[in-house]
Amino acid sequence: MRCLLVEDDEMIGESLRAALRRHGFAADWVRDGRAADAVLASERFDAVLLDLGLPHKGGLEVLKSLRARGDATPVIVLTARDATADKVAGLDAGADDYLVKPFELDELLARLRAVGRRASGRAEPALQVADLRLDPATREVSRAGRPVVLSAREFALLQALMERPGAILSRAQLEDRLYGWGEELESNAISVYVHQLRKKIGDDRLHTVRGVGYYVGEAKGQG
Amino acid sequence: MRSLRLRLFAFLLALASVAALAVGGATYISVRGEADELFDYQLRQMALSLRDQGRIADDERAVLESAEFDYVVQVRSVDGVVLYSTVPAPVLPARAVLGFSTVQVNGAPWRIYAAATPLRIVQVGQPLAARRELATAAAVRSVLPIAVAAPIVGLAIWWLVGASLAPLARVVRALRERGVDALEPLPAQGLPSEVTPLIDGFNALLARLAAAFDAQRAFTADAAHELRSPLTALKLQAGLLRDARDDGERGEAVQRLQAGIERAHRLVEQLLALARAEPGGAAERAPVDLAHVARQAVADTAALAVSLGGRVDLEVPADAMVDGDADALRSLARNLVDNALKYGGTPPHVHIHVEREGNVAALVVDDAGAGIPEGERERVFDRFHRREPGRGTGSGLGLAIVRTVARAHGGSVQLSNSPLGGLRVEVRLPVV
Repeated sequence: MRCLLVEDDEMIGESLRAALRRHGFAADWVRDGRAADAVLASERFDAVLLDLGLPHKGGLEVLKSLRARGDATPVIVLTARDATADKVAGLDAGADDYLVKPFELDELLARLRAVGRRASGRAEPALQVADLRLDPATREVSRAGRPVVLSAREFALLQALMERPGAILSRAQLEDRLYGWGEELESNAISVYVHQLRKKIGDDRLHTVRGVGYYVGEAKGQG
Repeated sequence: MRSLRLRLFAFLLALASVAALAVGGATYISVRGEADELFDYQLRQMALSLRDQGRIADDERAVLESAEFDYVVQVRSVDGVVLYSTVPAPVLPARAVLGFSTVQVNGAPWRIYAAATPLRIVQVGQPLAARRELATAAAVRSVLPIAVAAPIVGLAIWWLVGASLAPLARVVRALRERGVDALEPLPAQGLPSEVTPLIDGFNALLARLAAAFDAQRAFTADAAHELRSPLTALKLQAGLLRDARDDGERGEAVQRLQAGIERAHRLVEQLLALARAEPGGAAERAPVDLAHVARQAVADTAALAVSLGGRVDLEVPADAMVDGDADALRSLARNLVDNALKYGGTPPHVHIHVEREGNVAALVVDDAGAGIPEGERERVFDRFHRREPGRGTGSGLGLAIVRTVARAHGGSVQLSNSPLGGLRVEVRLPVV
């Protein structure tokens, strides 16, 4: 999942970005409302973590402009304002969830997963394609009941593909999902991860469409 | 006697008693004086008339001897033989003093007038008790209105005081019934003007208390709100430490956590410094040398200055003693130098000098940074106001502390343009 973190507090932003990356999310970070507006208008994210007390343009304003543009990107508001009126205002402005600082990292991650689940229209937390199963919460992957151990990037790649079984994701799309800005990226990184994934889960689930991209599905296309 | 009502009542009673005694006594004395004059005159006239008559006529004798007549008339010869007496047993003394005399007759005082002819002595006497009775009766009559009026006036006072103090009872009830933190003013309408200053004073105190409580509540709320950011950072940093997979990540996480703890610590310290500097925060006053305070501030911020590669100039005169709280002033100076280093250019250049003009000592801190536009200079003193939110780990309390401390010392803080190009902060304090 690719997240945009909008947070003006240097220390919180830095730690949160590190934590998100550590847990397999691609995380980008902007420090004020105007920058958030600009980025959200030009790039696609799976979720936005939005602080409310932002310089230049408040978080609620950012949220309202986002929704005014018809953008349904899930937004979780992170703020120190804990009055019910603030929560109501945040949710009514179009937030999908509301977390009051200081929050637990685990809770934030769980809410991010829930938001991602709702966005893809699933109720079941775990993703399942035939006998391949991926649980975003426990970060466990199994094939025919046998657990498979994946690195964070491999996991993120597989998750991106399994969220929409059969849909083809281009290499650029996958890079976006896996990497935040400024993270070092080899030109053939995606094909390297696909190669490693095939070795771990078997090559009959992860398919390549030459020149287009990759998809996950039943064994039917060429390997 | 604490009760106003009882006190007034007792005072009235005593006053009425004294008045009655005085009026009664005065009446008694004056009536007796008049009676004396009148009766003496009668005694004398009677004695002189009997003397000049020579003998007493029969019809006169009947009158003189009747029981209603309380005069005693005796006629003696010059050698003391009783020639005539209105009473069977002669009671008036044999040795008569001519003119008026007061003598004891049968244990009671009598007033006697004696007149003499060459052959006889005529004595007319009267018991003084008769005169006293007359005077007493007059005195009692004069006191009677007071005796009747006193209880009526007393009841009236009792009622009046009660009615006047009823609004006070309302105030007491209002006080008893209000909640612990109800600080709205007490009702003052209908109160006697002697009591309104008390209620007004009380209401003024309540208003000051309410303002102080409000300030305290706002401070606590602000503090709690501001603590959330460092706590959020700490939770995330602890999470990172927990999830670290190798020593490299762990080391990095520990470093982050330490920075987070340092930030939280600094915020708490600053909050404490501000709370102490607020009016009512206990602080001991002693003579403090502002030059020493400036030197301390430079020492306190030396590590920061070195890490930023900054330059700090210090220029202090012999001494500038102010009466103050040494810790608070140290915190003030430290915050000033700290700010000057952080925002005083890259690398920062800070100039500190202490000067004295008459009764005022000034601590002036100049920096070579970007300064603060005039329109923003008032706002930067608000607590938790940050000019560049998110940048660094500032608490937003520095200048709030500076101003609060300066004001608590009877001084002031001024922001202006520095000759170094940045901001000049001038703290002026009264010298000892």
